[in-house]
Amino acid sequence: MLRTIIKREILEYLKSAKFLIGLGITLALAAGSTVINVQDYKGRLQDYQAAMQEMKSDRFYIHLYRPPQVLSTLIQGKDRKLGNSITVTYLDIPSTTSGYMGEGRSQHHRLVSGFAAVDFAFIVRVVLSLMVVFIAYNAVSEEKSSGTLKLTLSNRVPRDQLLLGKFLGGWFVIMGSLAIAALASLILVLSHSFIAFASGEWTRLLAFIGLSAIYLTVFYAISLFVSVLVNRPSISLMILLQAWVFLIVIYPNLGIIAAENIYKLPSQEQLAQQKAAAFQPYEAEQKKVQEAFGQAVRTGGDVPKEIALRNVDLWALRANLSHQVDEEYGRKLAAQTNLARAISSLSPAVLFDQAAERFARTGIAEYERFMREVYRYWQQHVERSKLIYTDREAYKKAPAIEFRVPVEPPAEAFAATWLAWLLLAFFSLAFFALGYTAFLKKDVR
Amino acid sequence: MRTIIRKELLDHLRSVQFTVLLAASIVLFAANGLVFVQQYTRLNTDHHKDVAVNDQQPSTMMTRLYRAPSPLLFMAEGGEKASPKGYWLSPKLTLYPLSAGTGNFKMPDIPELDWAFIIKIIFSLYVILLGFEAVSGEKERGTLRLVLSNPVGRIKLITAKYLAIISSAAIPLLAGLLISLIVIGVFLPAVLGPQNLVRIAFLFMLALAYLSLFAFLSLFLSALIPRSSLVLLVLLAFWIFFAFFIPDTSSIAAQKFSKVPSEYEMAKLLGPTIQGEVWKRIARIQDRIQKGELKTERDVLDEANRAYEEGQDSVRKLYDDYDNAMQERAALAQRISRVSPAALFQYAAEAVSETGPKAEARFFRDVRNYSRVYDDYILKKVGKVVGTSPWSFSTGATLNGKYINLQSPFPQEYAGDKSDFPKFSESRPSLLDGLHNGLWDIAGLLVWNIILAGLAFSAFIRMDVR
Repeated sequence: MLRTIIKREILEYLKSAKFLIGLGITLALAAGSTVINVQDYKGRLQDYQAAMQEMKSDRFYIHLYRPPQVLSTLIQGKDRKLGNSITVTYLDIPSTTSGYMGEGRSQHHRLVSGFAAVDFAFIVRVVLSLMVVFIAYNAVSEEKSSGTLKLTLSNRVPRDQLLLGKFLGGWFVIMGSLAIAALASLILVLSHSFIAFASGEWTRLLAFIGLSAIYLTVFYAISLFVSVLVNRPSISLMILLQAWVFLIVIYPNLGIIAAENIYKLPSQEQLAQQKAAAFQPYEAEQKKVQEAFGQAVRTGGDVPKEIALRNVDLWALRANLSHQVDEEYGRKLAAQTNLARAISSLSPAVLFDQAAERFARTGIAEYERFMREVYRYWQQHVERSKLIYTDREAYKKAPAIEFRVPVEPPAEAFAATWLAWLLLAFFSLAFFALGYTAFLKKDVR
Repeated sequence: MRTIIRKELLDHLRSVQFTVLLAASIVLFAANGLVFVQQYTRLNTDHHKDVAVNDQQPSTMMTRLYRAPSPLLFMAEGGEKASPKGYWLSPKLTLYPLSAGTGNFKMPDIPELDWAFIIKIIFSLYVILLGFEAVSGEKERGTLRLVLSNPVGRIKLITAKYLAIISSAAIPLLAGLLISLIVIGVFLPAVLGPQNLVRIAFLFMLALAYLSLFAFLSLFLSALIPRSSLVLLVLLAFWIFFAFFIPDTSSIAAQKFSKVPSEYEMAKLLGPTIQGEVWKRIARIQDRIQKGELKTERDVLDEANRAYEEGQDSVRKLYDDYDNAMQERAALAQRISRVSPAALFQYAAEAVSETGPKAEARFFRDVRNYSRVYDDYILKKVGKVVGTSPWSFSTGATLNGKYINLQSPFPQEYAGDKSDFPKFSESRPSLLDGLHNGLWDIAGLLVWNIILAGLAFSAFIRMDVR
């Protein structure tokens, strides 16, 4: 019996104009955005590879580059917005990455600010979720208003099986649409020779598609629930669209505003003061060392070893203390962000976005991994720089320090996003259960 | 006609859409007002403090030029948060941005909740929700032919429907705007001067023009497609395409299509420029010493200063070229996105609010003008204007066994009285200047309206209402 209902529902959907139009729109937008994002990735990859070859570090300026993530072709996250380069010296560790033109000079922000990402994640979050609403808003209400519901139930069809059949029928159609859109985008991505997925990337991609499936299920369960509850299809569509706008556009925005007002951040002036205060005890000594150093340089003589060494030490200490202040500030930024997410965690879109970025390695977590590695590299670089004054031979022989950001195993991404998965699954089940019980009690006349 | 409008309007006012729109409008605009009050108060206090500190430290080496926050940030933020609050200015128009530092870059990328956003995204969506059923819904219910069997002209009917949709969007919009203005008026009455009120009124009219095109689009598709759920689906596709897809992909498209070199391509010129323009010139000095062309320490230093100055000019030019290239690309992205009426509205709103890239360009014009005054002042006081770049250079040369330190020259501080130090002030453009900037965008909105109105009317007149 269940199979008959499912089959009928699927056929019904596949024949409907709204499904065909919806799928057409989804495919067009998915293809358009993927083509654009692949081109963007290509440009960024070329720049990154060229920079690694052509803009190499010298003894003083260490240029480190952040590679673009291949999955940003589907889930752009912040990959494009965050700068791709950082230049450290033993005098300084910048608090953030910047464009290739360097900190303070790069106009990178001009090209990215104010633009949100239109990518496959957007297609799932906005376009497919909207299609889900359109598929399911009249699943029950239409049958009720046209009178077929009581006819169906006058046969020997148990109510629970009918609803389950309807649910599964629609669900298969939605999953099919998701699969088709994902496949189309994936083919577009993989048809380019410069793109290759590592095995970890495939796991991540599958996880992302699983996440998309649960996310769409949430909207599907909500839609079905409303469709059971409300008898007129046009009203149920209106209610669902309002809920959709609220959950996807309004609520996340209000969450951020609330977090920004609840969790205040220190100003740039305060940070500068903290940095100055941290180095205050060494200020006088540095001035003395600087003078001695400058004197030696101006006269063309050799800088005494202990002065040179202390000079590097003090500058590195200043950079390190500043870095600690920046780190603390970075933690506050993260705390504010987490608060915003916590406030808006009832929105499936926020949960979805957060987990999707994590899986694509295009979010802040990956950026923070990169920055941690930058700091580790910097520490080694300072030690190496000191060798110039202590053991010139050893300095010349010392191999280049390798900069490599360890790849996060996909399991770690799962561990970091389990709550999002759980909440999404919970919402799906809860709304399905609500719809189910409402349907069992429903007056079908 | 009036009866029809009244009937349609009452239908809308009783609908779920209207109630939710009203509630959403009130909440969003109130939030907008409150956020702006906090933000502007902080920005304004910081600005005054910064300017006062700078005024106390007149310097012929470097001065700071701060950009006053726009009092109309609440209407269209225009990316101001991401742009620097001002610049260090050194002689010869050398600029170095001061930190922006107000945004949390770790936050999810969600657009600012300004008026332009609320109208552009939320209101346009609700106009669609109010209008998609206007014709197709009546046809489905069969009331359309009943109505038209009365002596009611089709043009009158659709005009009435259009007016009803616009009025039912205008009511919550007006309510929202008033709430936002009340919040701002209570805490920051100075913001709502007569000049700004005119701008606000103008933005309201722009908003109506923008929403009107969505009303026409809804009526057009509603007359064209017989099933209202399909009408809505297609309308939402347009909405996504206009409000997100085009504006958000324009920046990538601009990179793809522009002949302007990428940031990396400019950055990679930096090393060779410094090598070729600075160090080669400096290396020639040692050669000339060996050839006996430079005899005294003074000769060597003068020659080095000249070489450094010329080198620095080239380095600075590279940075200027880069800034121009990036601006050109951003402008191209804007031009591409103008296909979308949502982008047209955004830019028109920025023009009226004096925010966004055009306002920044105006600030730069002021900076350039000031830079000339500043350089003249330095010339008068110090006697020469020394240009720098973000780089300073230092090396040495030996003349007759003596080591000479060759340091790229820095601007000098004038030690005397600087009470006549020129003050920087931003020009205050009038609304007309703003409108001039936004002329094409406003014209674009009107063109969209005319085309869609034509389509809606002709589709409805030709429609088979049976």
